[in-house]
Amino acid sequence: MIKLELQSVGVAYGHNLVVKDVTFQVMPGEMVGLIGPNGSGKSTIIKAISRVISLHSGKILLDGKDVFKMPRGDLARSLGVVPQMSILPSAFTAFEIVLMGRNPHLGLLQYESKKDMAITWQAMERTATQPLAERIVCELSGGEIQRVVVARVLAQEPKSILLDEPTANLDIRHQIEILDLIKSLCLEKNLMVVIALHDLNLASQYCDRLILINNGTVHAQGTPEEVINSQNIKEVYGADGCVYAHPVNGLPAVILKAGNSRHANSRDTIEGGII
Amino acid sequence: MALEQLKPSSTGQAIPIHLPHWRSRIYGILGLLILLTVVVGFATTFGSVQIPFSTIFGTLLSKLPLVDITPVWPSTTETIILDIRLPRVILAGLVGAALAVAGATYQGLFRNPLADPYLIGVAQGASLGAVIGFLLPFNWQGMGFGLIPLLAFVGALLSVAIVYNLARVGKALPVTTLILAGVALGALLGSIVSYLIITSGEKMHGILFWLMGSFSLSEWTEVKVVLPYIVVGVVIILLYSRSLNIMQLTEEQAQQLGINVEKVKLILLAAATLITAAAVSFVGTIGFVGIIIPHAVRLVWGADYRFLLPLSILTGAVFLILADLVARTALAPTEIPIGVITAICGAPFFLYLLRRKRKAVFF
Repeated sequence: MIKLELQSVGVAYGHNLVVKDVTFQVMPGEMVGLIGPNGSGKSTIIKAISRVISLHSGKILLDGKDVFKMPRGDLARSLGVVPQMSILPSAFTAFEIVLMGRNPHLGLLQYESKKDMAITWQAMERTATQPLAERIVCELSGGEIQRVVVARVLAQEPKSILLDEPTANLDIRHQIEILDLIKSLCLEKNLMVVIALHDLNLASQYCDRLILINNGTVHAQGTPEEVINSQNIKEVYGADGCVYAHPVNGLPAVILKAGNSRHANSRDTIEGGII
Repeated sequence: MALEQLKPSSTGQAIPIHLPHWRSRIYGILGLLILLTVVVGFATTFGSVQIPFSTIFGTLLSKLPLVDITPVWPSTTETIILDIRLPRVILAGLVGAALAVAGATYQGLFRNPLADPYLIGVAQGASLGAVIGFLLPFNWQGMGFGLIPLLAFVGALLSVAIVYNLARVGKALPVTTLILAGVALGALLGSIVSYLIITSGEKMHGILFWLMGSFSLSEWTEVKVVLPYIVVGVVIILLYSRSLNIMQLTEEQAQQLGINVEKVKLILLAAATLITAAAVSFVGTIGFVGIIIPHAVRLVWGADYRFLLPLSILTGAVFLILADLVARTALAPTEIPIGVITAICGAPFFLYLLRRKRKAVFF
């Protein structure tokens, strides 16, 4: 059975253990959200899975194989990453960026074949980035850049995609555009998707399962209903009583109100005080 | 709305687009190859004795296998062409190509538009080696050349090796540390060179002339010694040109796209350093070519290293052959140091390109 599996993973920066004993699995066609406060270790977990940083303890298995013992090329053929801030070289065209996704499929002496070009072009069609093909990166907006990076990951033809807050700098239209795209790709290509998200509402709407990380450990995992509840949100984020049912589909929704943090003045906490 | 826009591919047909600049790059490579041939011939005709182009052409053809041409020109002309001018022109082309490709590689490796082949101590190391060679009371003639190029070559490689070891953090080689270590060691070596020049007395003129670069002592021996280093280095760099493209993303993204970043960095660094060291050890530290030629190519043909590198090689060769032509003919019989010419002729041309293209971003 193909799956992505983390077995009591620990990651340390120096002597500082930032991720401790994280265990979860991702199945094909499943979109798993990593949620948790800033600095809780979401990005670190993404980096560990993609082998950008090394493990302190535990194991990460992809398709039964230890990620850290695979050749980098093999790993890149089965695992694609959309980073948090997609820093792209500004003078390259969008097409050239997407074409880079074919790199793990090419040998040292190989040049991109017609097939590679076609795969690249299809990836751009799928992400609606074809009209951007000849534009250079510095002319693209944040949303366009994220779509180009998703196209690059698609051109990689991976079995699994990791995303590190891909919607962090986007407006709501572009947020749902990217996530709709990821969700439909996940189902259509039977991909294993791990996505770190800040926005609890987006996480609740799009993910099949959520893993709530706090201080580097798994605080809760399960369906959005099981994870996003008043108690968990209060324990992890310190915000009280802000979980409601989504009016359309009933999934948990987090609606914040002012004066709910430990920095609040007492006058702000009056019910309905600031709208 | 968003979903409609992003429906799965209905057509699925392969339409590799006609990216016009891809075609222009291929034409650029072909055009530059032709230009290079013409420039080699052209530069060979000029000198203290004017030799017609047809003679040059005939001489060169007659040296090819399977071509039988009876010479209608005096044998002294043949000597001038084959033993004096041609090695000089070819060495200038080789060094121009080497510096341009090394500059482009360093710029890509460091993701820094200000990088040039001398950024991490090659020039200062070579200079120190050469100056020591000038100041030694004896000389040594092995392999057909003197001690100076040998010491320059060793100095260049040694200084980069020191910089590399200073900058290394465990297995990783952070590029910022590398640049800073290179600049610091370069300053140290540079000051030693300055001190040695000031105290060198009558040898000062020779040293300064070497530092600004000259092809006046070029013979086939030099070409034969330099050629293998440059060819091997260039081939290695060209093999890794796709990796160089991907490393323009962050190192993290490059790793996630299957690149062994530390290994590629080391290979490219070694190759670029080797060809720079080989190039400068015979002809001195010629400036400007290594930083400006790659940028000029970027301005015209874009940033893709798979085209940038070959285009830089050809442009660098053409540029330095022409610069050397000016250096030896403009004030003949006095030779102007080539470093002066590269900047005087190259800078205005580059500034013209910069203004004409008016691109805000080309790196």
